[in-house]
Amino acid sequence: MQQMKAAPEIMSETSIKPASVWDYANPTRFLGLVDRILPAFVMLTIVSMAIGLWMAFSAPEDYQQGATVLIMFLHVPAAWLAMMVYTIMSVSALGTLVWRHPLADVSLRAAAPLGAAFTFLALITGSLWGKPMWGTWWVWDARLTSVLVLFIIYMGLIALSKAIEEPSVAARALAIITLVGFINIPIIKFSVDWWNTLHQPASVSRFDRPAMDVAFLYPLLVMALAYTLLFFTLHLMGMRNEILRRRIRSMKMQTARQAEGS
Amino acid sequence: MFGQYSGFIIPSYLISAAVIAGLVVWTVLVYRNRRAEILELEKRGVKRRYQKEAE
Repeated sequence: MQQMKAAPEIMSETSIKPASVWDYANPTRFLGLVDRILPAFVMLTIVSMAIGLWMAFSAPEDYQQGATVLIMFLHVPAAWLAMMVYTIMSVSALGTLVWRHPLADVSLRAAAPLGAAFTFLALITGSLWGKPMWGTWWVWDARLTSVLVLFIIYMGLIALSKAIEEPSVAARALAIITLVGFINIPIIKFSVDWWNTLHQPASVSRFDRPAMDVAFLYPLLVMALAYTLLFFTLHLMGMRNEILRRRIRSMKMQTARQAEGS
Repeated sequence: MFGQYSGFIIPSYLISAAVIAGLVVWTVLVYRNRRAEILELEKRGVKRRYQKEAE
């Protein structure tokens, strides 16, 4: 990750001082911001992940689940991130359609593969946790099925982002379909309350106090923080990659125009 | 180490580590490739709009 820091040759213009947060709509200024804050995000992610894993492996075995409670520290943060990333993509979609923010589409595109990865991890670790606890790898209950649908939506959005060449058309199409797909997020969240599912109801995000002992709750929260920081770190890096992709496209188009003119 | 559940716990951690490592490596490689491509284009004399305006 250390190799991410320096890019002096092509980022020399990033030292422009912005007047307000809104000025980060300028991709060049945003790249400057990424270069400044990325090392701190990388450090915080590594430290929180190390502390979270240490707390997880120091936690006692659950009286019912035994050592499989260790899978919870991976499964639950991945599932939370799967929904959080889609929510961020939906806000980005509004940014494209309503505020026409230049970085909104960049944010949406950079978040999609990360959301797909976290959803994949939630499904796989859930399956590996379900087999010893429920006696089955998979059931078609409302929670599991709606999360699988979320994964398919992520894959569809990634495919769509690569299928349309014209940037403004692609941005609008991605934003509209992302917002349509947001209907799945409350379905995932409340599926365990609305339908009779094998998956348990919420244990942490409840209106009353969490139904979990602090011996498990604290490591879980630290792991959730680590996953969240990991997402924001990778999201910043992904947005930087997307901005560079657009610059390359623009430079190649200029070359093609010049070749046509001569 | 985890008794009868090791066959579920160890794969969970290995798969999670592999996916996260894959994301990090892929992101870093894409960045390095794109930066190299921009430098190559600049070396060939292709300039971005702001560079032209500055001239």
